[in-house]
Amino acid sequence: MRFLGKEIQSPLTLASGILGISFSSLQRVIRDGAGMVTTKSLSLEPRIGHAGPIIAEFEGGLINSVGLTNPGIHDGLLEVEKFHKEFAGVSIVSVFGADPDEFVSLAEAVNHSQADFLELNLSCPNVADEFKRPFALIPEKITEIVSAVKTVSKLPVLAKLSPNAYDVAGMASLAETAGADGITMINTLGHGMVIDAIARRPVLHNNFGGISGPCIKPLALKLIRDVYLKVNIPILGTGGVSNGLDAVEMMMAGAAAVAIGSAVYDRGLDVFRSTRQEMEAFMAEHGYADYADLIGILQEN
Amino acid sequence: MKCDRQTLPIAAIRAENPSLRTFVLETSLKAHPGQFIMLTIFGQGEKPFSILDVTNSSCSLTIKNIGPFTEALFQLKVGDLLSIRGPYGKPFSTETGRVLMVGGGFATPPLRFQAKALQELGVNYLVNINGARSADDLLYVPDFNDLCHRSLIATDDGSLGHLGTSVAVMETVLSEESFDHVYISGPEKMMQAAAQVARRYEIPFEVNLERYMKCGVGICGSCVMDPHGFILCMEGPVVDHEILEKLSEFGVYHRDKTGRITAL
Repeated sequence: MRFLGKEIQSPLTLASGILGISFSSLQRVIRDGAGMVTTKSLSLEPRIGHAGPIIAEFEGGLINSVGLTNPGIHDGLLEVEKFHKEFAGVSIVSVFGADPDEFVSLAEAVNHSQADFLELNLSCPNVADEFKRPFALIPEKITEIVSAVKTVSKLPVLAKLSPNAYDVAGMASLAETAGADGITMINTLGHGMVIDAIARRPVLHNNFGGISGPCIKPLALKLIRDVYLKVNIPILGTGGVSNGLDAVEMMMAGAAAVAIGSAVYDRGLDVFRSTRQEMEAFMAEHGYADYADLIGILQEN
Repeated sequence: MKCDRQTLPIAAIRAENPSLRTFVLETSLKAHPGQFIMLTIFGQGEKPFSILDVTNSSCSLTIKNIGPFTEALFQLKVGDLLSIRGPYGKPFSTETGRVLMVGGGFATPPLRFQAKALQELGVNYLVNINGARSADDLLYVPDFNDLCHRSLIATDDGSLGHLGTSVAVMETVLSEESFDHVYISGPEKMMQAAAQVARRYEIPFEVNLERYMKCGVGICGSCVMDPHGFILCMEGPVVDHEILEKLSEFGVYHRDKTGRITAL
């Protein structure tokens, strides 16, 4: 199948922030059956991120507050170049800037790499102390950043949106109007908090973090459906997908490809191989010839 | 999702030497030698630590004071709360034939745990080489004497045992006796040297590796090793000679807290 014109071996994609940035882990995910990999969000300068614990489990999923740990755009793109060296796999470089100018500088740097797509992380919930309200919640910032990046970027641009906006479909529409080539959604939900009652403390060092995992899947499906009906650009769907049936449901809602994140914690790295097998088994049983046949076919009551 | 976290008061603190203390928690943790836990001091952070020992009702961790986190830990008293999750990672194998263990510095606690485990399994012949800079830095000398058929010591300054490294003593021991398996735990350069010796004698071996770890459960990517994306916290930290052969970054570089490649 194809995503934004690139041939991909499956619609499964590594979500940003999972398994870091090293070329070797990105290649491993492709070998395990993913069609695309998203890097950890790269910023202009290296960031250590928050102190641990950076993740906390609860019944419905995980909360995390990594704090945009990354080696910086320079060293991060060195890993992307190694990823592409004598290796077939589609890469999405995720970037995070503090303002539109930084996003433009990052997009210019990514132009000089072999990356396939650029993803704008407009929606990290975990650095609000440092960077204030996420851009994905501010309509004029979505327009400003996407437009500015589109004037320089040589790559197709995905805008990564937050489920926390009041009108997510409206935000997607703004990104499309500003020139975005695709939408990645949803970033983690909330903030949430997991509490250790014995210690009377939040488990995360940062006290709160974005919620992911199975509990956000229904929200992701609804929002993806809303956006699918509103825009004409492809959606890279993410949010609580843990198995093949989840991925099928997300594509039926409107996703053109599906990213997996927290399920790597629950099912291990085999999650890509097994999810792909589960999808193909479903498709064979129910008569779908191609992944693309699933996109958006949901019939609402 | 699965949750392995436990919050417990410190049951006992034992000073091993001026910079090393053993912290004991009362818990029935089913852990094996070479595995680790993630330890939280609330408000200070979370770090991985190798497990020294477990019993039916306790888990012990021997920790060196090397930075702000361990400094905060060393300020704590019996009864103060710690939170742990785990055990994580792949433990040492359980070879019960003729076994040699080679340790260096404060990486020897997992070998003490391994010696105990192998004795419980009825190991035929167990030799340990305990290496450190100086006599004061040696750990668990009486324990290794009790647990091993032969227990050797090497110090860089010759203050106790053989003058020189544990790897030099390993050479001598291997030239005198035959072994089925070698377990190695120490600084990376020392393990690299010991691995070369074991390879030369064509003896299967395992090393206990360290990389910066943040989540401990295989999702953050901090500890991933090149070139095949080996996830050390899940697929290690104990690595056998066949896997080690493929880890091209071993002995050469690691990634720092931001993920940048840094020479060792």
